[in-house]
Formats: sequence, structure tokens, C-alpha cells
Amino acid sequence: MATLRLNGIRKCYPNGITALHGIDLDVGDGELMVVVGPSGCGKSTLLRTLAGLESITEGELTINDQRVNALEPAARDIAMVFQNYALYPHMSVFDNMSYALKNRGTPKDEIRRRVTETAQLLDLAELLDRRPRQLSGGQRQRVAMGRAIVREPQVFLFDEPLSNLDAKLRVQMRLEIRRLQKRLGVTSVYVTHDQVEAMTLADRLVVMNGGHVEQCGTPMALYERPATRFVASFLGSPAMNFLPVTAHRGGVVLPNGNPVALPVAIPEGRAATLGVRPEHLIEATSVADATEVLEVTVEMLEPLGADTLAYTRLPGLEEWLVVRLDGAHAAREGQRLSLAFSMAHCHVFDSQDARVPLADTEAQACQ
Amino acid sequence: MHYRRPGLDRLSHALLAVCCLLFLLPVWLAFTASTHTLGALYSQTAPLWFGEAGWDNYRHLLSGSIGGLGTDVLTLLINSTIMALGIAIGKIAISVLAAYAIVFFDFPFRRLCFWLIFITLMLPVEVRILPTFEVVADLGLLDSYAGLILPLIASATATFLLRQFYLTIPPELVEAARIDGAGPWRFLRDILLPLSKTNLAALFVIMFLYGWNQYLWPLLITNDADYLTIVVSLKRLLTSADGLVPWQNVTATAVLAMLPPIAVILLMQRYFVKGLVDSEK
Repeated sequence: MATLRLNGIRKCYPNGITALHGIDLDVGDGELMVVVGPSGCGKSTLLRTLAGLESITEGELTINDQRVNALEPAARDIAMVFQNYALYPHMSVFDNMSYALKNRGTPKDEIRRRVTETAQLLDLAELLDRRPRQLSGGQRQRVAMGRAIVREPQVFLFDEPLSNLDAKLRVQMRLEIRRLQKRLGVTSVYVTHDQVEAMTLADRLVVMNGGHVEQCGTPMALYERPATRFVASFLGSPAMNFLPVTAHRGGVVLPNGNPVALPVAIPEGRAATLGVRPEHLIEATSVADATEVLEVTVEMLEPLGADTLAYTRLPGLEEWLVVRLDGAHAAREGQRLSLAFSMAHCHVFDSQDARVPLADTEAQACQ
Repeated sequence: MHYRRPGLDRLSHALLAVCCLLFLLPVWLAFTASTHTLGALYSQTAPLWFGEAGWDNYRHLLSGSIGGLGTDVLTLLINSTIMALGIAIGKIAISVLAAYAIVFFDFPFRRLCFWLIFITLMLPVEVRILPTFEVVADLGLLDSYAGLILPLIASATATFLLRQFYLTIPPELVEAARIDGAGPWRFLRDILLPLSKTNLAALFVIMFLYGWNQYLWPLLITNDADYLTIVVSLKRLLTSADGLVPWQNVTATAVLAMLPPIAVILLMQRYFVKGLVDSEK
């Protein structure tokens, strides 16, 4: 059981590129911390510095309050699951799983006991004699997990372990990883670029961008109160709609001149961005207040079954406005829709893309 | 590729058969000639069928000292085998380590080291034979196995081939091994060598044949009949006889000289196939 603490971790490569600009994070005992971000944001580099595969240029990394900056990967007592599994192709599943133990000089019967136990846990008992190439993608993935679990490490590191699986298996393995992690209670850091994976797995979520941590918190906290426009756009699928607005008399004005009353503290006349998620745009048939209704034209429909995504356009606006309609909705392309905002779910971002808190709806909700 | 053209099939098989016969003919002639007596060989044209003296010829070569050579063929075979094995194993050992260092370790002038090794391809034994001889003579290695083997033991070709293979090994595999606590030597032994089994078998065959067929270098540095190799002795047999060339001895020695390389190829062939079936990256 372990806690992991990152204190101002910086990573600069010899060619002058800085991949990490001072990362501060605390991962609690038994916590599953998911690091998510677009490719090139430094999330994999972060994981590799934790593993010891990359050196740390500056800052301090501690596991259980012990500084491990200079320790070899094997000495840090961590286990890593790689994206392409990195199984040893010439070894049987058993040998793959026991290799680390063997290198550590664990007694033979102890190795056998632990591998058998782990194989049982992962449903691999029948496959112990096979070679990796004789396994399906999902099985290989489980062997890679098994190789990590057998070692009973302080920390698990996952480097996009599900991205080589097909969609159905991915969902299945996602649940499996969650279940195992909770059952074993091992502190874990999980890197992914898939925001659905991130939301569903995480105890806490770290959104990274350009080598910085944009925001860290529980998935729902990040979803409901994204600190920056980047976080808002990255989490949630389909992505949040952003409308350029101008601050005006205790609210904002949409580009088509439509005023929206929002209790937001931005100086009069300043440009800002209004963010609304597709699921928070409600069809306004039942809403009485006509001033906050947007008249849009449906240009394209994407029926997903349970929901239908409507790509609509507001007159005088370049961007699509995506609306999540009920799957049974009878919308047709070319049809006009009246949409109302769900006030509590609006987000306003200032010109620096930082979120401006809404005065009355949120003061009590913020922690 | 698979075409449904029976005519083409038959034609290509016929062509293959003719070529095989063409390649086999000299070998066959040597083999048949080695079973005749000297007198019989000189009294007729090249015989296409076996004679009666085969057993005697081979026994004579393997047991007693042969005129003009001062040693028996068994010694020659052993010498050649030691030299070829030494060269093949030495080349592989050195190339494995060199390629390992060049691919997996980060040290200053790594690329330069690789290119320095690579350009030695332009300097075969024949080009550097005088300085090499000088060095070997100064070291007192004339007429010794070490003298036969050491100057031929470095191989840019093998280093290059192994480097190309090592470069295809996914970096995650190296990292996984590192996390699993495998140090450099353990990684080499447990992961790299088993994975390159096929390549090593192929290299071994090539290098064994290279060593076996060495002519100029052994010719230069061996005077003592105890260190003579079989390839060199073949030429010596042709010239050393006082009168008639002992063709039955020459051909029998040639046939014997072919056996170890054939054995090595047949033995290693199993590993190629096994390696191809077993391993996968």
C-alpha cells in the first residue's frame, strides 16, 4: 500500500524540449488516478518518469515518503502495463508472469503459488503454457495485467492498456480493471487519451495539456465545473458547445444579439465564451421565458439509439450547435428547433479561457 | 504466387532438374574418382561409376601420413574444424556484444563506433594481410590455432545484421524487462539471445563456411604440418607429388572436406525452421 507524491516534476530533454512543466500531484493509498489529455500533452512522459524509464530533470518523486528519483525502475517496486503489452514473445504465459519474481530471487514454490493465484483471478489458468502469439488480444491484455499483479507492487502504472482492443472488449476490460484495482487496493496511475475511459475508471482525474496539469479532481467535479475551456472541451462526448459572447448588463449577449441573463462577473463589453453541453440544451416547448430561447435550424442528425445528436446552426454563427435529443424525437433535417439553456449548467470562460464562476448558482456547490 | 498453368510448372521443374544435375556433376565425379586406384584413373577418362579401391583410399588418407603433406587427413579435418568453429563462434560472440552495445546503450560517439565497424567491410583480409601477418608474427602466434582464428574473428557483417535485428525489437520490451528487474546481462541472456536464435543459427552457418573456406591466411601463417588446414592441403596435394598427381587422394580429400560444412548446414537447418515457426515479435 502506498502513496505517491509528485513535487514540481519537470522533464526537459537534451534537445531543449520541455515535456513537463512542474507537475504537482498526490495519489492517495489505493487510489486510481487517471491522467488524460490529447496526444503530446506529456501524460506518457509523466508515467515514464514515475516508472523510472525517464530521468527527472527537476522536482521530487516520493513513494511512501521515500524519495525515488534516482532509483532504477526495478527498485521502485512498481509494475507497468504497456499499450502493446510488451510480453516476452519467446516465453510461455507462466514464464512471462514469473520473470520479475525470478529476477528477484523469489523461491520457486512461492512463484508457482503466486502465478497460479493470479492466473485464477484473471481467468488465465488454462493458458499458462501458451505463448503470447497463441493468445487473443484480450487474453494478452490479461497476461500483461497478470504480470503486473503477480509482483504485488506498491504502484501500478497503466499506459493506455486498452487502446489496442476492439470497442466491445475495451468496455469489458475497463470494468475488469476497475474491479481488480478496487479488490487489490493498489495505488494506480492510469494514462489514457480516451475521456470515456478516464471518466469511468477514475477515482480522481488529471487533465493535462501542453505539459501542465489543467485540472485535477473527481470525474464529476471536472465534468460539472471545468476550470478551463480546455477541460470543458476535453471531457464529455460530444464535446461542449462554445459560443462567443460579450458581457452585457449582468449577463452575456450572443453573437446574434440574443441576450442571456447569467449572474457572471465580467466587466461590461468584455469578450467571453459561453459553454453549454449538448445534453443541457433543452427543447423549449415548455419553457415560458422567451428571452433565453435560441431558434436554430437542424442541419444534420446522428441517431445513436438512445439519443439523437442534432447538429444545428444558430443564425449568424459559424460553429455547429450540437444538441442531444431523445432517441424517440421526431426531428427532421431542415426543421427549426427552439432551445432553452439549462442555466445551472452553463459555463462562462473569460478571454484567458479560465472559467468564471456563476455568482448564485454555484457559490454553495463549490468545495 | 500461385498460377494455374501446368505447362509452366513442368517447364520450371525440368529446368530445376537440369540445373541440379549440372551442379551435382562435379561432386559426383569427385566422389566416383575417389574410389579408383591411381592407375585406373590415368588409364581411362573420368569415371562415372565407382571403382573397387574406395575403401582403401579413404582408410589410407585417414590413418597414415600422406606423402607431401606430412600428416593425415583426420588431423587436417580437426584443424579446419577448430579454425572454422573458432571463427564462427568468435565472430558471433563479438558481433552480439558489439550490436548490443550499439543498439541498446547510450554512449558518446555511438554512431561513430557503428560506422567505424561498418567501414571495415571495405578492408577484407587480403587487403590488410601484410600488417596482420606482422602483428601475428610479433605476437608469436605463427603456427598456432590462435593465429589462425584471432585475425579473422571480428565481423562487420554479423554486427550489422544483428544490429538490424535488434532495432526491430520494440522498446517496450526492453522497458518491461527493466521494470521486471533484468539488468543488461540478464536481458541479453533471457530475452535478446533467445529472440535472435534464428539469426544466430543463420550467421553461424555463414561464418562457419567462411572460416572453413579460408585459404590465403592459413597458407601464410602455417608451416608446421600439425596446423595445416584441409582447404590448403588440397592445393598442396596437387603440386607436391613427384610424378603423377594422386587424383584419387585429391578427390577423396575434397569429398571429406565437404562433409563438415554439409553437416553444419543440415544441423542448423532444423533451427531455422524451428525458429521461424516458434518466434514472433
